[in-house]
Amino acid sequence: MSTSTVIGTLDDESLPPERTRRQRRRAAHNVEPSSHHRGPVWTALGYVGMVLVVLLVAVPLFWILITSFKDRGDIYVRPAQWWPSPATSDNYHELTTRIPFFDYVRNSVIITSATAVAKIVLGVLSAYALSLLRFPGRSVVFLVVIAALMVPNQITVISNYALVAQLGWRNTFQGIIIPLAGVAFGTFLMRNQFLSLPGEIIEAARLDGAGPMKLLWRVVMPMSWPTLVAFSLITVVNEWNEYLWPYLMSDDETTATLPVGLTFLQNNDGVTNWGPVMAGTILAMLPILVLFLFLQRQMIKGLTAGAVKS
Amino acid sequence: MQSSVTDSRRDTPVSAGPPEQVGPAPRRSSGKAWEWTLAALLLLPNLVLLVVFTYRPLLDNIRLSFTDWNISSPVANPVGLANYVEWFGRDDTRVVVRNTLVFTVATVGISMALGLGLALLLDQKLKGRNLVRSVVFAPFVISGAAVGIAFQFVFDPQFGLVRDLLARVGASSPDFYQQPGWALFMVTVTYIWKNLGYTFVIYLAALQGRRADLDEAAEIDGASAWTRFRRVLMPQLRPTTFFLSITVLLSSVQVFDIINVMTRGGPQGNGTATLVYQVYQETFVNQRAGYGATVATIMFVILLAVTVVQVRFMDRGQKS
Amino acid sequence: MNEFSRRGFLGLAGAAGVAGLAACAGTGTAPSSGGNGGGASSNTIEFWSNHPGNSKPVEQQIIKAFEAANPNLKVKLVDAGKNYEEVAQKFNASLAGGQLPDVVVVSDVTWFNFALNKQLAPLDDLLSAAKIDTSDYVDALYNDYNLDDKHFALPFSRSTPLFYYNKDLWKAAGLEDRGPKDWDEFLTWAPKLKAAAGSDKVVMELPDGSNYLDWVFQNMVWGYGGAYSKEWTPTFSDPNTVKAGKYLQDLAKNGFLKLSKDPAPDFTAGIVGCSMMSTGSLGGVAKDAKFDVGTAFLPGDGNCPTGGAGVGIPANITDERKKNALKFIEFLTNAQNTVTFTQATGYMPVRKSAVDLPEEKAFLEKNPNAKTAIEQLPKTRSQDNVRVLLPGGGARIGKALDQVVQGQDVATVFKALDAESQQVFDSQIKSKLGA
Repeated sequence: MSTSTVIGTLDDESLPPERTRRQRRRAAHNVEPSSHHRGPVWTALGYVGMVLVVLLVAVPLFWILITSFKDRGDIYVRPAQWWPSPATSDNYHELTTRIPFFDYVRNSVIITSATAVAKIVLGVLSAYALSLLRFPGRSVVFLVVIAALMVPNQITVISNYALVAQLGWRNTFQGIIIPLAGVAFGTFLMRNQFLSLPGEIIEAARLDGAGPMKLLWRVVMPMSWPTLVAFSLITVVNEWNEYLWPYLMSDDETTATLPVGLTFLQNNDGVTNWGPVMAGTILAMLPILVLFLFLQRQMIKGLTAGAVKS
Repeated sequence: MQSSVTDSRRDTPVSAGPPEQVGPAPRRSSGKAWEWTLAALLLLPNLVLLVVFTYRPLLDNIRLSFTDWNISSPVANPVGLANYVEWFGRDDTRVVVRNTLVFTVATVGISMALGLGLALLLDQKLKGRNLVRSVVFAPFVISGAAVGIAFQFVFDPQFGLVRDLLARVGASSPDFYQQPGWALFMVTVTYIWKNLGYTFVIYLAALQGRRADLDEAAEIDGASAWTRFRRVLMPQLRPTTFFLSITVLLSSVQVFDIINVMTRGGPQGNGTATLVYQVYQETFVNQRAGYGATVATIMFVILLAVTVVQVRFMDRGQKS
Repeated sequence: MNEFSRRGFLGLAGAAGVAGLAACAGTGTAPSSGGNGGGASSNTIEFWSNHPGNSKPVEQQIIKAFEAANPNLKVKLVDAGKNYEEVAQKFNASLAGGQLPDVVVVSDVTWFNFALNKQLAPLDDLLSAAKIDTSDYVDALYNDYNLDDKHFALPFSRSTPLFYYNKDLWKAAGLEDRGPKDWDEFLTWAPKLKAAAGSDKVVMELPDGSNYLDWVFQNMVWGYGGAYSKEWTPTFSDPNTVKAGKYLQDLAKNGFLKLSKDPAPDFTAGIVGCSMMSTGSLGGVAKDAKFDVGTAFLPGDGNCPTGGAGVGIPANITDERKKNALKFIEFLTNAQNTVTFTQATGYMPVRKSAVDLPEEKAFLEKNPNAKTAIEQLPKTRSQDNVRVLLPGGGARIGKALDQVVQGQDVATVFKALDAESQQVFDSQIKSKLGA
């Protein structure tokens, strides 16, 4: 992606956003430099590598999946049962009937989307200020932001609980969301990204009279799409799996999230039936995986937009 | 992604072609009034949230680290440096610090190397790579507690997959839960498995944003694949590597759910206890919240120091 | 004045310079600012539970009955955590300045620190004011919550360990269909069991030190005449306690004993001959096992430790709320409801008269293994202080027992345990007792 390419894209604001599939694919091909000259040996090695990866990473996943379809008595057997026989959907039935599963899903969706949106917006704005605006004490502010990553939440929750409870926000969505909304990780990531952008382009846009917000939306963001997607994805995952704070703040299924709700499938003094727990793990993971599939395409598409004019 | 967090100017260390200036051009002044105002407006909401919900508790914590606060008590008596003196003198401190070091070094090193390898592999035009990308990312999507539960089916000395596979070749399985060394190995492997998706996705995003022309130029110059990797690709990925080395380190040190679910810090009391686990254990189990606050403060100071060193190191790498 | 007010630290937003509030010291026992406000109206009883033994439906059922009997009162059941530790953590958070619940589940281990720090209300005066007769509570269970001659909780979800054994293996080894009389007898059985079990099975499996070995091991210690402590004096170095430690070590050394994270699935799958596990596991084990499950008293006489949890009332709520809360916990643990609750979960009825109820008689008729547990109940013994009352006691002893099983010298390990326990008592408990 050469400098002139990107400038071309920026200047041409009337660029039609939709292109044909083929153009897009060709464009995608262009930005993948290492793909056009691989010999058959390399390709074969690549496939071997992929198979290995799938074996190592996917076997535990596979195990979670088949356990979710096993009868209670078939989970702990020797030798291990590599295929559920008989396969049963009882665990999924139990999962959705024994706990208010869909209430937890709803709460998780609300809390995750609100927190993720807040973090993404705040992260981008903070990163922009910390990378492309000049003001005194900039590096100190930056250090303050990333040092927040070093504070484990075990030590913040008690104090925050007191504060939020005094505001009367216990067992409310805002009580869960607002304390989680400050963003250190994303500020760090996006600042890193913004600083890596070619200076001439920024300068050129400024000379063209682009105001700071226009610069952000029209110049900086379009060039930072893959990183923003990665940031969003990781933020969504983290919020989706957040446990400690939602468990302390929520009282029941009006606000409790999925990771909190799923723990009520376990028997805390006796024998747990792991089938429904595994079923819950699978169902909790699916929406995020779908989002990943969707977003990783966006990651490539975003680049394509910049590269196609070369 | 090319540039650093510490300096907005840098040269692109490329063997072919003259150094090219990237990053925003330096301005003469340190900004104008409108720039200050705008920066303040953009930063304020985030800073307020961080100050109220992270730094206020942190300050509380530092203050409490000089007291004998019992978690359930309404009062905390000042004890000066007693907690700190105790921490440095205690036998279990050594074990916990060693566990934290082993765990962190292993997880940071291995998950970054594997993440980069996988990102490179799955950046190739191979059939089915979208599926494989999802597979690699999938473990990251599962919560730490759920991963800990699921991996009991991998490492269980009676029913686990490892046992099953070893039995097929006639070997017997170590007792991962009872022997401290194996237990630490177990939680480390589990953590790497879960977090590979993170390093992978960040590296993948960086690879997608890299400059094809540099690689092509080098190739035309006849550079070998290894040379291109080392001289062209790695320097371009440097800011990403730097970013990951900090964030993976910080999240590894703060691992809690996996350890809590799999071993509760055991076997033998602290076989897999790390600093954060010790904070939890002292604060909520032993009820010595003052001492727990001390451990947390020490950990914060260590992390801050390590991060500053990382930033410096990065800086120096930049200049050479 | 040298004391900082914790509430000052934690409660005030951004109050970095809050050390100036030291004058508040000692006021923490006064009703907290959030204690009565913020929505919790005095006729709604907030009940913080972890639903021990998956008991949420039966808790709801009892609450419904309570509300029907007391139309002016409402009970709000709160999911306060996935286990006793989490309920304690959430309760601790609320003590730091949030709204307090009216009723909270406290385990055999967690109640004491709350009571010691005056965060749980002593129930005796409330009980006598409400004219509630406590003599019907099983004595060992009721007296578990005793500190300075006051009671700080009522027994609720109480369990004890049971001796579980695989009847098929017992038969194959040519043993009588019963549990061992004492641990010496078990030692004479172990070789036969091992021969019958074969090489890939284990004679006995117990939970490891991170998973309450320290709870069930009390039975062996008491069986050999030792104890973890006498009142507050640690007695690990007592020759009898050491003897029990050596016994445990020898079992492992001879290949009769293995530790694991959770013996229940191993036992249920038939690869473990016997174990000591909570009565709470009974339902699950009996349901899944493909062999005949036997249960027996723990070896010895009167050597069975109690366990599980009770329900307490926070100290810093209004008297009106306390009165209502007491009304609720009395109802929750009365003979009728303890029967309802324990039949649904596998816990022990906490009332003596419970066994006389016709539905309980019918239930025990049908569930001989549950009967074992109930018959053992009068033979239970309150646990040693240094395990349940000393902060971190369970984990500390568990660690030592792990080391013993791995072959470290028993006398040395236990001696260190004595010193450590004494030190914790001196620094954290002593000054607060009787205060």
